[in-house]
Amino acid sequence: MDTEIPRSTRQRPRTRTLLVVGATALALAAAAATPLNPAPQQAKAAQADAKRTLTVAVSQSIDSLSPFLAQRLVSTSVHRLIYENLTNYDVKDNHAVPGLATKWEPSPDKLTWTYTIREDSSWSDGEQATAEDAAWTFNTMMKDEGAATANGSFVANFKKVTAPSPTRLVIELKKPQATMAALDVPILPRHEWEKVGDFSKFNNDKKFPVVGNGPFVLTDYKVDQYVKLKPNEKFWRGAPKFDELVLKYYKDGDAAVAALQKGEVSFAANLTPAQAASLSKTENIKVNDAPGRRFYALATNPGARSKDGKKFGNGHPALLDQRVRQALFAATDRKTIIDKVFQGHAVEGEGYIPPRFPAYHWKPSAGQKIAYDPAKAAALLDEAGYKKNSAGKRVGKDGKPLDFRILCHATDPNDKAIGKYMQEWWGELGIGLKVECLDNVSDPWLAGEYDLAFDGWSVNPDPDFVLSIHTCAALPATPKDTGATDNFICDKKFDQLYAQQTAEYDEAKRAGIVKQMQSRLYDTGYMNVMAYPNAVEAYRTDQIKSITTMPESGGNLWGQDGYWSWWSAVPADVDDTSGEGGSSTGLVVGIGAAAVLAVGLGIFVAMRRRSTAEDRE
Amino acid sequence: MTSTADALSSPSSLAWARRRGSVARFWRSYRTHRTGLLGLGALAVIALVALAAPLLVGGDVQSVTNAPGSALDSPSGEFPLGTDQFGRSLLGLLIWGARISLTVGLMAAALSVAIGTLVGILAGHFGGWFSTVVMRITDWFLVMPTLVLAIVLATVMSRSVWTVILAIGVTSWPTTARLVRAQTLAVESRPYIERATALGGGHGHIMTRHVLPNVMPLVLAQTTLGISHAILTEATLAFLGLGDPDVVSWGGMLQDAREAGAVSSGHWWYLAPPGIAIALVALAFTLCGRTVESVLNPKLGVSTR
Repeated sequence: MDTEIPRSTRQRPRTRTLLVVGATALALAAAAATPLNPAPQQAKAAQADAKRTLTVAVSQSIDSLSPFLAQRLVSTSVHRLIYENLTNYDVKDNHAVPGLATKWEPSPDKLTWTYTIREDSSWSDGEQATAEDAAWTFNTMMKDEGAATANGSFVANFKKVTAPSPTRLVIELKKPQATMAALDVPILPRHEWEKVGDFSKFNNDKKFPVVGNGPFVLTDYKVDQYVKLKPNEKFWRGAPKFDELVLKYYKDGDAAVAALQKGEVSFAANLTPAQAASLSKTENIKVNDAPGRRFYALATNPGARSKDGKKFGNGHPALLDQRVRQALFAATDRKTIIDKVFQGHAVEGEGYIPPRFPAYHWKPSAGQKIAYDPAKAAALLDEAGYKKNSAGKRVGKDGKPLDFRILCHATDPNDKAIGKYMQEWWGELGIGLKVECLDNVSDPWLAGEYDLAFDGWSVNPDPDFVLSIHTCAALPATPKDTGATDNFICDKKFDQLYAQQTAEYDEAKRAGIVKQMQSRLYDTGYMNVMAYPNAVEAYRTDQIKSITTMPESGGNLWGQDGYWSWWSAVPADVDDTSGEGGSSTGLVVGIGAAAVLAVGLGIFVAMRRRSTAEDRE
Repeated sequence: MTSTADALSSPSSLAWARRRGSVARFWRSYRTHRTGLLGLGALAVIALVALAAPLLVGGDVQSVTNAPGSALDSPSGEFPLGTDQFGRSLLGLLIWGARISLTVGLMAAALSVAIGTLVGILAGHFGGWFSTVVMRITDWFLVMPTLVLAIVLATVMSRSVWTVILAIGVTSWPTTARLVRAQTLAVESRPYIERATALGGGHGHIMTRHVLPNVMPLVLAQTTLGISHAILTEATLAFLGLGDPDVVSWGGMLQDAREAGAVSSGHWWYLAPPGIAIALVALAFTLCGRTVESVLNPKLGVSTR
């Protein structure tokens, strides 16, 4: 009993410690919230005395730095910067302009193309870039399956590629091919790449600097941390103005925007509507909201199969019925998706190719269009034999309820948001939907283990590639292989049209066929384009004075068809003394919220400490 | 009252009277702790709100297609905490989310403590090589970072509330197991256990009739404390995007807020309320747990009267 008095007296101070902890945390929070955060100035000071670095926030992981394998936007964008293609796209209207080749022309029989290779392009190790390098690149892709992984569709029709002289490249074709002025294939230095053994495993990320001839030279890369590029002073079009270009990884969009607000990065893409709205009110930051080159679609599994005829995966059998696919799309309210999810930063989807490419963009006629019409969707499902049971669920003839899975990218908030809407729209029709959000959707996707999927591709000025991924030829050779196919589509009519457009050298006629292909794709219901998302991006005007968008009027910056944006970027004057761009309410609020949590945690920790103190007694 | 009836009823009625007495004693002692009462009061309010959520806000609050507001409205008369990116009322979601957060917290803590108690009693009772093996396994779980293990489990299994409960439950039991084992050893060294064995009490009898009641206070306190831990872990997992995307929970709301870019665009009303709610509930459970512990723990109990 003698311990009673001292213990009860000790009880009070303890509560006081608690209060002190709380108060300290609050004071800390207040301190952090006031704009004495010195980070922006530090960033600026560092910039003034050192080189002028253009830092770009990116989130997508690089799949490979080998142009033979790279398919993701971030990787191909890097390749645009470090290697030259034969031709490039004009920044104004996307027509083919000289790249490594200065001139290109077909023979009268359309089967032989002759390219004149420029003499003023050299590799970063000093060697001359010649027709020999180009011929080697194409020949490797033709001979080696591994080297054809990413861009095999371009060379599938090549018969023979030769370099009669260092400035002349001759490509002989099996059949006419319309994409010869739009070969999006980076030309590689033969003397470096000849040493590579297995192209399907070589990722080009061990030896730096990477030998290239584009406007930039890749000097360093750390997985999911950064990609560093230096300007190529000898670049024939002129060296870029910045001293360094860094792609810095921010896996979290909010972190990237906070870094932009603080001035740590000069550019951030893929902004959410809320971020765009708040950034457009921030000083020294320009928000660029441009028509995108992407489509955003609802893909349905047409029954995954390989070229050898084997079926695999576990796609829902109901989706083999065109009426079911069309019913699902008819029960998807695209207008709501544009208004609510994209909040106006997108255009309602129709054809496969976005309106940014007016020559190829196609719209369904009024009769063909699958408009949002739940009643029609219900009728289609009834017709297909999926009637509602007493519990309001649609069941097939086998008595199984119509329950779908949809693959969603855990990293894309739009996927999740649209998934929520679909669950409700389709739920009313009596269709169940499970939204499976994964960090890595490739595994189930390639295995065909999905019913539906959120799908999207960036479209090039030449539509050949995005069309080729839906042909039978793109299917994997065996179930174990990986094909270029996007969604296992194999449709005879589509393939026929694809072959026709490839052989059509008349641009207007070819565009007509491409439109027919889109019409066919629309009717099959395998790829239902819901929207063309805008490119919503922002950059700091106190770090980038000017930068070229593509198309030049009202275009985008990240993921262009060319190197225009980063090559043309002009740094702002370094002695720029425009004040405090970085202190934003958003940051303050974020810190405030964190502080509130910290107080809670402080109390929690204090309690725990107290408990252990007691235990020790 | 006949003697037979008396003989039949008296042991059980005695037992009940004793239990009633101890509960009353417990409560008398508990209510002297102001912090404990505060925590209990807060919990009662939150539990009431969570239970009454269908009446207060209705299940419709989760619907995106019938969302009443526009995206990310600031707080107003109609939406006291503003709206989320779908135009749903954040106050409604906060109330609805309490259900999941509390359910997961309670279930996961119960699961974790159940595993811990079972392992602890078995190891403490049987001793020897069995105890050594079991406790080494416990040690292994103890040194494994709970969060990492829970993330792995939540990633491997399909996304659902049960996965989260399981992931938290099977990762956080080792502390309980160690505590219970120590208590079991202490209890079993008392002479009456020896007497019970001498009178023919088997393993099961000793463990369930003598050891378990004696470790119960510890277990109870551990459960209450475990709940706050479980709620925090649930919020963490949901925030990392490992929760069930179809249900509304507080951690999930924080994740949604992050995805909408609410942090960098300054929409504090989206971030702060779920964060504060998590902190409050965790705090309330901790306050209660501490009090229960100090009331029930014979070593601490005397001092606080």
